[in-house]
Amino acid sequence: MKRLDLPKERQFIGPALVWKRIAAFLIDMMILNLIVLFPFRKLFQSMLPKEYSFSEAYNSFAGTMSASYISWISFAMSVLAILYFFMLERKMSQTIGKRLMRLYVAGDKGKLKAWQLLARNIAFIPIFPFILLWVLDPLFMVFSKTNQRLSEILSKTRVVEKYSLD
Amino acid sequence: MEKSGFRWGYAIFVLFFLALIGFIAVGFISLFAGVDVEDLNGNVAMIPIEGIIVGTDDSDLLFESAAASPDIIELIEKADENPNIKAIIFEINSPGGSAVASEEIANAVKKVNKTTVAWIREAGASGAYWIASSADHVVANRVSITGSIGVIASYLEFPGFLDRYNLTYRRLVSGKYKDIGSPLKEMTPEEEEIFQKNLDLIRDYFAGEVAKNRNMSKKDIDKVANGLFYLGVQAKELGLVDELGGKDEAIAYIENKEKIKAEVVEYKTDKGLLELLGDVSSRQSFFVGKGIGSSLFGSSALKIST
Repeated sequence: MKRLDLPKERQFIGPALVWKRIAAFLIDMMILNLIVLFPFRKLFQSMLPKEYSFSEAYNSFAGTMSASYISWISFAMSVLAILYFFMLERKMSQTIGKRLMRLYVAGDKGKLKAWQLLARNIAFIPIFPFILLWVLDPLFMVFSKTNQRLSEILSKTRVVEKYSLD
Repeated sequence: MEKSGFRWGYAIFVLFFLALIGFIAVGFISLFAGVDVEDLNGNVAMIPIEGIIVGTDDSDLLFESAAASPDIIELIEKADENPNIKAIIFEINSPGGSAVASEEIANAVKKVNKTTVAWIREAGASGAYWIASSADHVVANRVSITGSIGVIASYLEFPGFLDRYNLTYRRLVSGKYKDIGSPLKEMTPEEEEIFQKNLDLIRDYFAGEVAKNRNMSKKDIDKVANGLFYLGVQAKELGLVDELGGKDEAIAYIENKEKIKAEVVEYKTDKGLLELLGDVSSRQSFFVGKGIGSSLFGSSALKIST
């Protein structure tokens, strides 16, 4: 009987494991903090005086011009974070964190579109209602069957990885 | 799923490109917001009171430095509310100015719940001395000009000038004293007496406040509250100043009293680019409007200054 010439290794693509996604996210955050958001660190440190408790800082800034400066700084930082994810995922479907964890971003229906990449990272905008995603996104990721965040469901994207069957 | 593969070169380019945008954004935010972020830390606030003391930021002093009382009071309150700030130094270099604005600032200084030191540089005279006397400790250079406790409201009168050019001041008032102090007519002895009475009242109040601030008796304050200015060394002998010296002496007093190593941070009203541009255009509009207004409804030139 003639033997079937099957490949030695078989691969399929499935939802990424949650721990890998968290690890990739932490790596990306670390890189963002170290390089991209580095210029803002000094600005923030100088604006938030030493030995301040949260309530003291809040009272000090409430209703002052500093509060609006901080809003602008936060907004600029969130735009840079979105650009980091957008530029890398648009070109290579991976960020540095995802590359290291061997994860990819994929669209539900073929090639990723720009709006999808922007929508999946919308949670970075520190404005209501997007800040609700800070709670909803992780909850959806943990409890949904496909491990998708809410913003991924809405943007019709998912994070996947390759699985091998020996 | 894209299969283009990961390109490290592109990833590094993205990182540095975004960092560059970050630097530019920080620069713009600082520029537009007028934030001098390097200077916001420290435990001793230094608030400059420089130039003529005025009640509003949009005064006529386009090319002269002016200390507007709302701005100074805002800085005082900010420093007082900041728990990191343990003491405030007022760097005074002013010949005085509006009596009302001086009193407003002096009251704000007295309200501060922290150690306050007035450091008089070139001049801390009249209204500026009123402010200085409200501080816990007054330091002045031996040749600083200080004192000048008194009130002035002198002005030019033009009736002779009008006569010469055959111009007439048509007096239309409802109320006998409505145009008191108008430079277009000669002041009557009765009006002068009223004026003098009011100036004396302000002077008494001014001198009384200084006496209270400096723990001086009425006899002592009356000796010095004659409008005369004193050099720092004379002011020390008269009890108007606590210590001769400068910034170092002011800091040493604070370090000694608060048992801290002083880190001085300057509190000043830095204006952002937008604010500066807005200021220039609003000032231009203001002066155009003021010119038109003055020509239509010329008002009294009288101003009471300390």
